[in-house]
Amino acid sequence: MKKFFASAAIAATLMTGTAHAETIGVAMSLFDDNWLTGLRTSMEDYGKTLDGVKIVTEDGQGDIAKQQSQVDNFIASGVDAIIIMLVDADSGAAISKTAAAAGVPLIFVNNAPSNVDSLPDKQAFVGSNEEQAGTLETQTICKMLGGKGKAVIMQGQLGTTGQRGRTKATHDVLATPECKGIEIVEEQTANWMRTPALDLMSNWLSAGLEFDAVIANNDEMALGAIQSLKAAGRSMDSVAIGGVDATADALQALEAGDLDVTVFQNAVGQGKGAVDAALKIVKGEPIEKKNYIPFELVTKENLAQYKK
Amino acid sequence: MNTNLAAETAGNAVSGSGRRLPQELNIFFILIAIALIFEVLGWIFAGQSFLLNPQRLTIMILQVSVIGIISVGVTQVIITGGIDLSSGSVVGMTAMIAAGFAQSSTWARAIYPSLTDLPAIVPIATGLIIGVLAGLINGALIAYTRIPPFIATLGMMVSARGISKWYTKGQPVSGLTEQFNFIGSSVAPVVVFLVVALIFHIALRYTRYGKFTYAIGANVQAARVSGINVEAHLLKVYAIAGLLAGLAGVVTAARAQTAQSGMGVMYELDAIAAAVIGGTSLSGGVGRITGTVIGTIILGVMTSGFTFLRVDAYYQEVIKGMIIVAAVVVDVYRQKARRKV
Repeated sequence: MKKFFASAAIAATLMTGTAHAETIGVAMSLFDDNWLTGLRTSMEDYGKTLDGVKIVTEDGQGDIAKQQSQVDNFIASGVDAIIIMLVDADSGAAISKTAAAAGVPLIFVNNAPSNVDSLPDKQAFVGSNEEQAGTLETQTICKMLGGKGKAVIMQGQLGTTGQRGRTKATHDVLATPECKGIEIVEEQTANWMRTPALDLMSNWLSAGLEFDAVIANNDEMALGAIQSLKAAGRSMDSVAIGGVDATADALQALEAGDLDVTVFQNAVGQGKGAVDAALKIVKGEPIEKKNYIPFELVTKENLAQYKK
Repeated sequence: MNTNLAAETAGNAVSGSGRRLPQELNIFFILIAIALIFEVLGWIFAGQSFLLNPQRLTIMILQVSVIGIISVGVTQVIITGGIDLSSGSVVGMTAMIAAGFAQSSTWARAIYPSLTDLPAIVPIATGLIIGVLAGLINGALIAYTRIPPFIATLGMMVSARGISKWYTKGQPVSGLTEQFNFIGSSVAPVVVFLVVALIFHIALRYTRYGKFTYAIGANVQAARVSGINVEAHLLKVYAIAGLLAGLAGVVTAARAQTAQSGMGVMYELDAIAAAVIGGTSLSGGVGRITGTVIGTIILGVMTSGFTFLRVDAYYQEVIKGMIIVAAVVVDVYRQKARRKV
């Protein structure tokens, strides 16, 4: 142990001596997504506050193959560590192998790889449990409805980790004894986006669909549903609406009483946690393999602390 | 100017002779057939009428209005024998940039805090100008460097998407003024779509602009020999396509009451699909705005129909792809059969 501290101290002195000691390559799954942008900027901003840490980012554009080659490029360019927000959980194992073979520290952020339980040395996961978001959201909606009624589910882009995890959690909650009086009358995708959600809701309303709650996989879709319901003249008090992400637009809607619940996924916490974890591995410090940053429920009551 | 030739080459499209039915009538029948299939299935599975529902009839067109606006421009590009892959990205880029000038002072995080509450004409004009600029770059590359339209607009597709992400580093632009949102509210997008379609329907059928467009697509050498300034005309056509993509970007942002860098992804393919379903030939020289309007509505009817019948989301895309191809195959066979008579 003494030896370890000694070497760490030497390493630390070495680091302060060089101009830029660590370059961290950040491979994002997608740039054009609000929450992921928050995660990316939180890492960039945090990196700027650290002396000598340089952060370079890549946009995987939702393409597994593209992301894999970006990781290869990072390794080839000799970065000190890689932080990756996976396009898909199942592509994680292969990337994990590549980084381990090259001996480059690898941090999975937000999206856990399929091999999260057997990560090799110098690798770790920092993020939240997707299902928890759907659980918190659906439990609140269930309470608002008093455990019975009709609900529609708006799913994110089919096949994405968020869509799968959150939708599964919603189904699980609605299968519990307290909530099984709530019937899922419709379930469709609106691709995470506002306009498709607006159109989807309008189509539902035109079919005369009746429901008491809208459970959306994210805030953007919940906001699209709200726009459509308002245009159709439905009172916002007569329907419980939930989303996930706690975006600025969603908090505004929550304050106005249109949105009833959202779930805050701590982008800053995850981003900072990932950068810290990467630096720890680089410096040879011990680190937990799995680091969970919890989701936080946001309702009108605790809204103030999330508004920036 | 040899107008005879232009009129002749445009003959495919301008079928005023009455000897044969206008081509888009076929497409119209397909639209009716698809709608009737949903009507019948609706009574069987959902116990209600698909068509006798004013709200649904509106949403059918409303949800594809933006695609339709783009498609009117794309149709003209395809008639010249070209293609425009950049329109979806131009939608995203113009939405982001235009919305930046449409923010309300009540929104705490305006990107230009000193430029809030501007009259709606400012963001709208900005969006249209950005769209025209993108179109002019496409047109100039194609007309003067002679690179294939596929490549030129592919480049614009990638670059414009890059700009839409870079502009605010991916952050959404929200808190838009009521005045600006008006252009996307209620049925305003439908009105914009139909007005745009009417203008360019007239332009293509009854003006020299239209005759030149068909002439270039039918035979570019012949068009050149007959005195048409092909380069200048292509520049015009691509600028119009850009203008309409810019307009679509403005309408999209106003409709969603926010601009996001991912807006318009894949719209170019839906717009091309609408044009092609509507009878526009990818080999150039053939196509009409009326067909494109019907093609666009077919896409809308399918979206509403699937939701109406509660078709599982996983199957929707599969079926949609098959219907797009089937619509075109049916049309090709009908045209072949007609030629044999």
